[in-house]
Amino acid sequence: MNTIKFSTICLTAIFFLAFTSCKEDSDTTKPVIELVEPEEDDVLLIGSENGVHFDAEFSDNEMLASYKVEIHQNFDNHTHAVTRGDAETVDFVFEKTWTITGKNASVHHHEIIIPENATPGHYHLMVYCTDAAGNESHIAVDIELSHEGEEHDHEDED
Amino acid sequence: MYIRFITVVLIFAYILPLSAQTTDSLKTEILNEVVVSSSYKDNVNRNTALQVEVANKSFLYEHFTGNLMQTLENIPGIHSMDIGSGFSKPMIRGMGFNRISVTENGIKQEGQQWGTDHGLEIDAFAVERVTIRKGPSSLLYGSDAMGGVIEISQLPAPSENQVYGEIVMLGKSVNGTLGGSMMSGIKKNLWHVKLRFSEQHFADCRIPADTIVYLTQYLPIHNRKLKNTAGYERDFSLFSEYRKGGYYANYAVSDAFQKVGFFSGAHGIPDAARLRDDGDSRNIDMPYSSVNHLKISTRQQYFRNKSTVTFDAGFQNNHREEWSLFHTHYGNQPVPETDPDKELVFSLNTFNSSLKTDLIYSEQWRHTFGFDVQYQRNSTGGYSFLLPEYRRFTAGALWLSVFRPAGSRFSLSGGVRYDYGMIGIAASQDVYLEQYLRERNYDDALIESYKWRSHSVNRHFGDVSGSIGFVWTPNVSHQLKVNLGRSFRLPGANELASNGVHHGAFRHEQGNASLVSERGWQLDASYTCEYDGIWFAASPFVSWFDKYIYLKPTGEWSILPHAGQIYRYTAVEAIFSGTEVELRIKVFRNLTYRITGEYVYTHNRDEHTPLSFSPPASMRNRLTWTYKTFQFNIELQSVATQNRVAKNEDITHGTNLLHLGATMKIPFHDSNVDIAFSLNNIFDTKYYNHLSFYRKVEIPDTGRNFQLLIKIPFKKKLK
Repeated sequence: MNTIKFSTICLTAIFFLAFTSCKEDSDTTKPVIELVEPEEDDVLLIGSENGVHFDAEFSDNEMLASYKVEIHQNFDNHTHAVTRGDAETVDFVFEKTWTITGKNASVHHHEIIIPENATPGHYHLMVYCTDAAGNESHIAVDIELSHEGEEHDHEDED
Repeated sequence: MYIRFITVVLIFAYILPLSAQTTDSLKTEILNEVVVSSSYKDNVNRNTALQVEVANKSFLYEHFTGNLMQTLENIPGIHSMDIGSGFSKPMIRGMGFNRISVTENGIKQEGQQWGTDHGLEIDAFAVERVTIRKGPSSLLYGSDAMGGVIEISQLPAPSENQVYGEIVMLGKSVNGTLGGSMMSGIKKNLWHVKLRFSEQHFADCRIPADTIVYLTQYLPIHNRKLKNTAGYERDFSLFSEYRKGGYYANYAVSDAFQKVGFFSGAHGIPDAARLRDDGDSRNIDMPYSSVNHLKISTRQQYFRNKSTVTFDAGFQNNHREEWSLFHTHYGNQPVPETDPDKELVFSLNTFNSSLKTDLIYSEQWRHTFGFDVQYQRNSTGGYSFLLPEYRRFTAGALWLSVFRPAGSRFSLSGGVRYDYGMIGIAASQDVYLEQYLRERNYDDALIESYKWRSHSVNRHFGDVSGSIGFVWTPNVSHQLKVNLGRSFRLPGANELASNGVHHGAFRHEQGNASLVSERGWQLDASYTCEYDGIWFAASPFVSWFDKYIYLKPTGEWSILPHAGQIYRYTAVEAIFSGTEVELRIKVFRNLTYRITGEYVYTHNRDEHTPLSFSPPASMRNRLTWTYKTFQFNIELQSVATQNRVAKNEDITHGTNLLHLGATMKIPFHDSNVDIAFSLNNIFDTKYYNHLSFYRKVEIPDTGRNFQLLIKIPFKKKLK
């Protein structure tokens, strides 16, 4: 019987250790991004003085921290590729971050300016958002930059 | 008998609610399964205080999938981290990547283990026996073996002179696998030589879904086949051994080649345009990876007066290429003139050798002294950058003693080891990135911090590891083991020096040149008992790491395209704990029931969150019915929801899967033809695998799979 007693004590001790959990108060819930404008497959006007109408809602279970908007070319992945290396135009690149706070933030601005010399074509617009704990989420939309783009404005909002 | 009856009733009561549809089959079909057990296992277990599992030939055959890790996953505590349906990497008790070691013929397999999308390059057909050490094994294997070791070894040579061999054929429906292997061996007097060639081809993998949703985009999965996940594998191996008196030598050469496509949606931002059906489910388009692993090794052993001297030496070359249509974020980067689409190349050469002496002084004492050295050189290429070039040298010396008092049922073992490590990492500067940032008028300090894709790092490390434990076998039916170990792992080149966007993870990952070795204390116990047709094992463990390296989200934005915040390799305090439990009951003469369960708990003490890639709790209930040479089994695999996730990792929901299998032997000439049939995931259940490479792009795991394995052995005695 000593066998069983000793084995039981050893195992119970280690099981006890193995199932001691630590306090987990840290937040692992990602913030939520709802991008209202621009929408998927929107055509944005090159050289528009008003800038791109950017409209997004951010929310988090605890505390928002920051968001980033990034635009880069996506010419390769489409069959109607735009000829590259055109000296007249430059691939449009945009990268900027903003600070936001609270559990919910509505953002609306026209800070993304597409210069006259931007190369027309398909681009990715990505929005990243972090919360105070470092949880991150991001979304991507396909957009097209064109000289024939409409002036995107508030009439798009239903 | 009464107890057994109660147990069975309880088991039924508990299975039925889980899967009501299977009631009928459970009643009728049941029996003796080939379990992970053998005298070899008993022998190994008596001599080490760590929990050791042995997958012998019959286990490997019964659970064969063409992929070694998916076979070993049937052992509690072992997981397979899959990269599509073809390739996988191992995980033991929640530790994967460089935290466990795989050895073949005594040589540690050195590939690109650190990468999430890099599989293990080993021919599953050639594996004859696998010994798994769960828990800290740094004492015997040095750096990296902190989570455990998977040792692949050869079966002993046949005793009689003979020519023998086998032809194996494998077919799978889930990804259209067609594979086969031919082996032929000769044992003549002092020599034994065997030669094997294996090949496997598989098509795009089927998943039980028509669309996947990733980053709010709906992506179509045409014909429910995951585009461009086809691949093939071609392996060759030669093993020869010579034994005369106290002298033994073996020579092994093997080459494993794998080429597999990456699902287009998993590389880059998902784009429906890239997922159009190309009408061919067997082609391997870009992006894809191709890896060749060449390994040459020898063992020289001399045995005299109960003492053995063993010398092992090996050379390995792991050559990995990733091809993807040329793409860049910096418009000024020219298209390379040769191989414009070769994205990444890693070529890792490893030399290692070890010398070990086993001294058996008396019945009571047994001592082992060992010394080993390893030298590695990693060179890189391709238009993109992921891992720097580096050189690494390690040397270790160990002493281990086992004491077993005469007439005692108790044995005590302990040892210490010292390792010296040196790593020299080459700096790499990205001129295109520098120019890109300059054109965008970033300030000089910022440009300086981003333009280095890797920093020059030269580091020396010294680590002490060791373990102490006991094995107590009070009588034939009980065994108790307890082991306390200190283990370590040298930081990898990526953890020390990287700086840039990881092309698969889309994260800006930053190394930390001042990291010290990862270190921890690990306490393990295991208890087994065998009693009148009942076999039970429990193996709890708890580990505390004072320095555990992980990628910490910093909350600082990266200015690089395609990157969110910067993730920096950081050492923290971490805890791992959990248990595996296994119970086997011989219900009736021909019927065996087996239940295995496992649980792993991980905790990051600084962030107060779990660690990433924690395997979910799971359980397998299996009934095996044996009649003569026929065997039938049914298994219910239950996986719990993993909601203990690290920051920026997704919760994965649990599932219940039902599997069927049957094996039979058909007499053929002097031997038997083995036929194994299995049907996995009968209900084509859609579920996600928390440890799969494709999990993060929301791709479910494979659906229903029929598999047929035929093995035709032959043997001719020689005079």
